[in-house]
Amino acid sequence: MNAGTLALAALGLPFCSFVLLAVVPPLRRAGRVAGALSIAAIGGSLLASLVLGRTLPRESVELTWPWLPAEGGPMATVGILVDHLAASMLVLVALVSFLVQLYSLGYLEHETPPALGRYYAYHSLFAFSMLGLVLASNFLQMFIFWELVGLCSYLLIGFWYTKPEAARAAVKAFWVTKAGDLGFIIGIVLLWGQAGTFQFSGLFQMAADRTLPTAGLALIMFLIYLGAVGKSAQFPLHVWLPDAMEGPTPVSALIHAATMVAAGVYLVSRVYPLFLLTPDVLALIGWVGAFTALLAATLGLVQADIKRVLAYSTVSQLGFMMAALGAGAAAAGFFHLLTHGLFKALLFLGAGAVIHAVGTNDIWKMGRLYRAMPQTAIVFLVGTLALAGIWPFAGFFSKDAVLAGVWEGGLTTPFLMLALTVFLTALYMFRVVFVVFFGNRPAEGHPHDVPLVMSGPLWILAILTLGWGISLAASGGEEKAHGPEWIPWLASGLAVAGIVFAWLTYQKRAVSADALARTFRPLYVAALSKFWLDDLYGGIYRGLLLGFSRLVGWVDRYLVDGLVNLASAWTLRWGDGLRRIQTGRAQDYLYGVAFGLLLVIVWSYWR
Amino acid sequence: MGLQPYLILAACLFTIGLFGVLTRRNAIGILLGIELMLNAVNVNLVAFARFTGETAGLIFALFTISITVAEVALGLAIVILIFRVRRTVEADNLDLLKG
Amino acid sequence: MSLEAAGFWGLALVLLASSLAVVLSKNLFHSVLYLAVALVATAGVFLLLQAEFLAAVQVLLYAGGVVTIVVFAIVVTERLVGERLAQTNRGVFTGGLVSLAVLVWIVVFIAGAKLPAAAPPLTGDLTQAIGRDLLTRFVLPFELLAVLFLAGLLGALFFARKEE
Repeated sequence: MNAGTLALAALGLPFCSFVLLAVVPPLRRAGRVAGALSIAAIGGSLLASLVLGRTLPRESVELTWPWLPAEGGPMATVGILVDHLAASMLVLVALVSFLVQLYSLGYLEHETPPALGRYYAYHSLFAFSMLGLVLASNFLQMFIFWELVGLCSYLLIGFWYTKPEAARAAVKAFWVTKAGDLGFIIGIVLLWGQAGTFQFSGLFQMAADRTLPTAGLALIMFLIYLGAVGKSAQFPLHVWLPDAMEGPTPVSALIHAATMVAAGVYLVSRVYPLFLLTPDVLALIGWVGAFTALLAATLGLVQADIKRVLAYSTVSQLGFMMAALGAGAAAAGFFHLLTHGLFKALLFLGAGAVIHAVGTNDIWKMGRLYRAMPQTAIVFLVGTLALAGIWPFAGFFSKDAVLAGVWEGGLTTPFLMLALTVFLTALYMFRVVFVVFFGNRPAEGHPHDVPLVMSGPLWILAILTLGWGISLAASGGEEKAHGPEWIPWLASGLAVAGIVFAWLTYQKRAVSADALARTFRPLYVAALSKFWLDDLYGGIYRGLLLGFSRLVGWVDRYLVDGLVNLASAWTLRWGDGLRRIQTGRAQDYLYGVAFGLLLVIVWSYWR
Repeated sequence: MGLQPYLILAACLFTIGLFGVLTRRNAIGILLGIELMLNAVNVNLVAFARFTGETAGLIFALFTISITVAEVALGLAIVILIFRVRRTVEADNLDLLKG
Repeated sequence: MSLEAAGFWGLALVLLASSLAVVLSKNLFHSVLYLAVALVATAGVFLLLQAEFLAAVQVLLYAGGVVTIVVFAIVVTERLVGERLAQTNRGVFTGGLVSLAVLVWIVVFIAGAKLPAAAPPLTGDLTQAIGRDLLTRFVLPFELLAVLFLAGLLGALFFARKEE
């Protein structure tokens, strides 16, 4: 099979599964059967992706079909574009989707069969949309899949739609990302107006030939970047991601850690040749990324909800990737995307296992779980070490590559922010680890390790995280980082410092957390209230949208309704008046006939 | 003799019939007016048929006469029935359809 | 003045006079008789137009049939009410005005239209042509007419039945 067929197979299987689940209700209501079907489909996709990744030719493979017929050739095409970037992403998406779907069988075992079937239908749709996004060969198609994954995110965050917070979080995620998507679509259309094509290959060719008009290109690329800001939760549109944790934990692992939120980073990597033409926008991307990383890391420090810590960590790591892209180290940023996808999915699934066992998200209600759940503790620790960037885990290499790239890119201040973030990352992650798995007070209830269907995916991810890192270490691993020698040492030192600090504070209690909070009181208060960003957006939302709604409501109630009432009143009055001409006498009607006859004659005379 | 005089004659006949229908108080009188109007139509039909050489006009006139006869028979039956029930054939009093 | 013209004007005079009498006479019975005169005069007009068959039908059906029915109806109603049926006109002014307006406009219209000044010569027998067309081209309306008569017959029977 050639590459195009494999890619289409990977794309088609989840779609078939979704259609089957959507149109055959008995299958969907069967619950676990639906899950098995969905898992089999994504398994097939994973297989196809792996074979594709092995056999991919050096140059990219593109298949296109005409679409949107217009004068002088089709206005747009549909197609798939497979190159190494897409193939790596394909494998990541298929792998994490497969593992998460498998894990969900255990995590959602108490759901009713129809709800489970619905869950898997959404999952299949998501897998299809995400793979389609990865394989898209033009902006238009990418936007369509982009919105589809947004829809799936909405559906899955709101999976427990009877819970008001979940429903609200789903709506919030949808709206906030839509704010970015608005820029994205405007950018796409403007770019089409400039270049006359949506096709990536055509655009890259124009960029290489320097035939792409550069006037206004910076604005266009900024607008396209806005889409990535919304999807990848960059400042100032990061507020939706922590709230999205109201969804089931496997969903958070899949959509809000490994795949969909990485779509923004993937978008920037995908059209990187275009961004290279606009250095100003790239610099902005770098600064915003670094700032997002630092901001989210400080927020992650004060959260009590284990999933929210991970959510802020995701935001922070996405900032890392964006910073690397902005500094010109596209390969490093994408590398970090892949490793982060693995270990963040691992962390989320591990957190899910803990939540499943303890029944709460609050880390202060957990403790000493390593005794009750040794397997989970080990894999969680693997994920945490990778996230903190400790040798020889995969995260170490990608994080170094990012830091080196940013340093080489000449963005010194962002580099310092990222370095501080490395310290904070280790601190907040090990805060969670020490509080949840070690700590002094045992957790309530009788937590136990998770069944094989859940622990299996965890182990696979843990082994991949560690194995990838070791293979990189064995192969020298450093060829990706071109930066100065001291950068890995600095990063490792900061990470270890963070771990030690966390150990002192939360394990040994040598440093009082309360005292620290008092020392940094303004920062602490600000972080607790999320730097008032949510309140600000809430205020804007209420002020603008509700004000506008009130205005529209007033118009509807008094102007529109008034007109309708007036019309009905007039109709009544006129009807009452016209009633009188119905005398009931045939001869009066005949006068009408005579006048009509007159009219016809006069009209035909003057015609 | 051209077509015009015949048409004008028919128009006069029609108008007189219309006047009768509009002003008569008695239902039978109204029916007589209608007869006059239909008669005017027949004159028109026959005149056109003669001046264009098309027999359709004659046949239509034939139909009109036949239908008119049926109409008169039924109309008078209705008038008599109304008379039996309401003791009047004054058209002014027949206003059951008043709005 | 040719014979045709003389006949036409004479018939027209009779026709219009009798028609006016139909709509203006105070006595309903007289009205009916004037109607008979008008119908017979119309038959004369048909003769002028060389439609002998239609003239015959006119006299037989209209002047014979209709007038007989109407007279019969008047007699029946007069017997029922027990007094002579007088009838008057109302709204003469309005009705006259409207009728006159219709007349004026029709005449204006006719005067403005291009009409043949003389009749083409007759070809063949008109009565024969009517018979042939009635059973070929117009056979469907002819049959429908039969259905209509049946319906009329049933209606008349319905109205004439005894009160129960």
